[in-house]
Amino acid sequence: MSSRKVKVLRVAAEEWRALLRNRVAMIASLTLVALTVTSAVLGLQQRNATEAARARYQATSDEAFDAQPDRHPHRMVHYGQFVFRPLSALAFFDPGVDGFTGTTVFLEGHRQNSANFSEARQSSLLLRFGQLTPAFVLQTLAPLLIVFLAFGAVAREREQGTLRLLLAQGLRPSELAAGKLLAHVGVVALVAAPALVVLAVATLADWVPPLPSALMLSGYLVYLFIWAAAALLVSLLVRRAQDALILLVALWMGGVILVPRLLPELALARIPTPTRIETDVAVHHELKQIGDSHNPDDPYFASFKAKTLARYGVDKVEELPVQWAGLVGMEGERLTSELFDRHARAAFDREAEQNRLVRQFGSLSPLIALRQLSMSLASTDTESHQDFLEQVERHRYRFVQALNLLQVEKIPNQNAGEDPRIAAEHWKTLPGFTYQAPDMLHLAGERIRSNLVVLFCWLAALLAGCGWAARRLGEVAR
Amino acid sequence: MSAWKADVKLLFRARLSAGALLLLLLVSALAVAAGLAATARQRDVIGRVEAAQRLDLASVVLEYGKPDGNAGSAAYYTFHLTTDPPSPLAFAALGQRDVQPYVLRVRLLGLQSQLYESETLNPELALPGAFDFAFVLIYLAPLVIIALMYDLVSGEREAGRLRLLVSLPVSGRGVWARRSVLRYLLVLGALLGPFVVGAVISRAPVGETFAIALAAALYVAFWLGLALLVAARGRSSSAANGAALIGCWIVLTLLVPALANAVISRALPVAKGIDLTLAQRELVHRAWDIPKQETFQRFFVNHPEWRDTPPVLGRFHWKWYYAMHEVGDDGVSAEVAEYRRSLTAREVWTARLGWLLPAAAVQTLLHRAADSDLLAHLAYQRDIERFHGRLRDFYYPYLFQERPFQNADFEQMPRYAPRPSSASLPVSSLLGLLVLVVLVLGAAVTAVRSLSLSAAPDAS
Repeated sequence: MSSRKVKVLRVAAEEWRALLRNRVAMIASLTLVALTVTSAVLGLQQRNATEAARARYQATSDEAFDAQPDRHPHRMVHYGQFVFRPLSALAFFDPGVDGFTGTTVFLEGHRQNSANFSEARQSSLLLRFGQLTPAFVLQTLAPLLIVFLAFGAVAREREQGTLRLLLAQGLRPSELAAGKLLAHVGVVALVAAPALVVLAVATLADWVPPLPSALMLSGYLVYLFIWAAAALLVSLLVRRAQDALILLVALWMGGVILVPRLLPELALARIPTPTRIETDVAVHHELKQIGDSHNPDDPYFASFKAKTLARYGVDKVEELPVQWAGLVGMEGERLTSELFDRHARAAFDREAEQNRLVRQFGSLSPLIALRQLSMSLASTDTESHQDFLEQVERHRYRFVQALNLLQVEKIPNQNAGEDPRIAAEHWKTLPGFTYQAPDMLHLAGERIRSNLVVLFCWLAALLAGCGWAARRLGEVAR
Repeated sequence: MSAWKADVKLLFRARLSAGALLLLLLVSALAVAAGLAATARQRDVIGRVEAAQRLDLASVVLEYGKPDGNAGSAAYYTFHLTTDPPSPLAFAALGQRDVQPYVLRVRLLGLQSQLYESETLNPELALPGAFDFAFVLIYLAPLVIIALMYDLVSGEREAGRLRLLVSLPVSGRGVWARRSVLRYLLVLGALLGPFVVGAVISRAPVGETFAIALAAALYVAFWLGLALLVAARGRSSSAANGAALIGCWIVLTLLVPALANAVISRALPVAKGIDLTLAQRELVHRAWDIPKQETFQRFFVNHPEWRDTPPVLGRFHWKWYYAMHEVGDDGVSAEVAEYRRSLTAREVWTARLGWLLPAAAVQTLLHRAADSDLLAHLAYQRDIERFHGRLRDFYYPYLFQERPFQNADFEQMPRYAPRPSSASLPVSSLLGLLVLVVLVLGAAVTAVRSLSLSAAPDAS
């Protein structure tokens, strides 16, 4: 082993010894470890309970649907279906926006309903203090612990006069900085260890996919290294340990508490969101512009009628072999759904624009980049909720049109009687909703990559800063 | 008086203290401005929706306001707008107004399938929580107090002035009180200055404004007492005192609330909202498969006045359709009450937590006074329910007496008037906070006294 390496290790070992002697530091570290483990266990339990409840609701609601009696198919269009969003496996680690999005959507014809009953709408404002999850512990609390352990790394030596002594004994500033950094890399590893164990156990037990959990863990490691490097940098630059602490706590406050709250305000003010009511009115209005199926002279539906008659080779709707009202219903549903799709896409685009505005500041606060990365990997970000809504809408369309088709084919076009119904076994043939969990590495690959890049850039910049500050330290001490 | 002046000078000479105070003033002003902007935005949205609604209503009137118009179709196609504009103090504590809808359209159909509709909301923006005065008060003000107080005593010790200070006969005794009161007033001024300006701008009621100011004064006093206690008791370095105080801040504003939320949401699960909508759907749709008389029998229990109207003979009649919907709502009224009870229970337990946790007490107090919490939303829902009752009272005579529904009848439709504020002053939270403040300040004063006593004989 080169003497340089030995020296670096000695410095690191000394720093560790000092940290171990500090009782407050030990208690804080152990508390954080306990918190990570507790929150993971609680999170896992909560996730499984939520998931089981949603699966149970889905099953009950599907059974109720299949058990409906003989009916006119259009009655079933209005009876509708309930779908529940399943939770991803990694949601126990980072529930992301799940508490703020609705979890159940009612599907029916002619209408696109919202996702309802979100946890945030049903909780007291305590929820806004943050949810106790591993993500919260590692994103919010762990950086502060790292700051407290590392702020004095160099500043205290300087304050106590040992710095001059060390350098006079021939220790190079770069070796000192490397040693201190090594010591705090070790601290970070210890702080992240419980999360590592939890994710490793979950992966081995096949609860969570391996690659996303590995990426998740590396994201958090880089994030915590960023804080360790920032603490060291400030410690290298600032004259008094106390100033270093104050500066670092201020950085934490700004980056972790303040900026994430300020930016959404900016995004909302810059990019206004139309309400559901405005959208509903607009859809209704646009639909009227296309045509009115109840009006026999309406140009759109007159041409639809002509086309349909030509397709079946008959002269009057009464001669059609299939039910005319059902055909009109299908065409109407097609038109409304097209409009829903257009408005939904516009809404998603607007959300994306708002989020882009916030995420751009990932370069300002690494927390924003990390939070995004973590939610994407856990499939609990806005995009995966949108993916759920898109799948739901596609399913709604298929489901409603399947019922409309039953009406077209099974209900007689003429003399159907006062109360035409079809047999109940048809309900069982209709598609139930199964959510295809997206492959996040595929769906969010671009975002995951760019957020990782942002985090690595932060780390690289801070490490370069530490190198520069260490050289400067040598000049100052000389 | 000169001692006060000297302390003010001393305080502002320290870069950290002056910076922290200025920052607090700036952030507080920014938060008030952001809060005012957010409530203005909500009023704009209400205005926009009202315009869209007028457009929609006009087209409905055009289509269904015929001389032989049918009240059934008119009621089916007419949406009625309800709005819940922000209270004048909502700017200070936006609360749940970012996730709860404050505009909702309802029809004569079953209310329980319409009441829980969500507004378009970008969840990622709601996730971190609002940036408002409540946030600055609860999270940031304690940090500023910590910055101003953590080395109050140890700083003097480290500078070697402590013994001299406590041995001074006249000014020495009062030095800690003077410095504490000075910091207290400055912090409170930096916080409340912008808040009062905001309250004046939005013409907030004096009572509730005063209540919020009082809650802020107590909360700041709590943190000042805690900081003074640690400063006086802590025998070690300034850095250790600062670390201990930051630890208190994490525990009291981040950790315990998050833990309490986990406990409360687990102890009081509220899936009942889903249960009741599922149950209501079954009730409404079953009505198509049972004899109409059964539905009417239930309907007439609450509406004996229509008992003697002609029976429905054909397959469909609007009056049967709406009766079916009302019976569906009635069928789940027990579940609805239970759902609201469990939501209210969550609020009640949060308020109880305020007896131990100042941050929770202030959170409850501010949002209750600003009428922007879950209880406020429940009040809005109850008001929509009352309005829905008025809609039924309006339409039923047309339906059951088979009167035509014409152009002029649209003019007679009930209009929703925003509910009166449900704001209240949770006296128990205020008392709980007061007790906490008295306890902490008492402990702090004792600690400061013993500090003087222990140091004084040494010096003499």
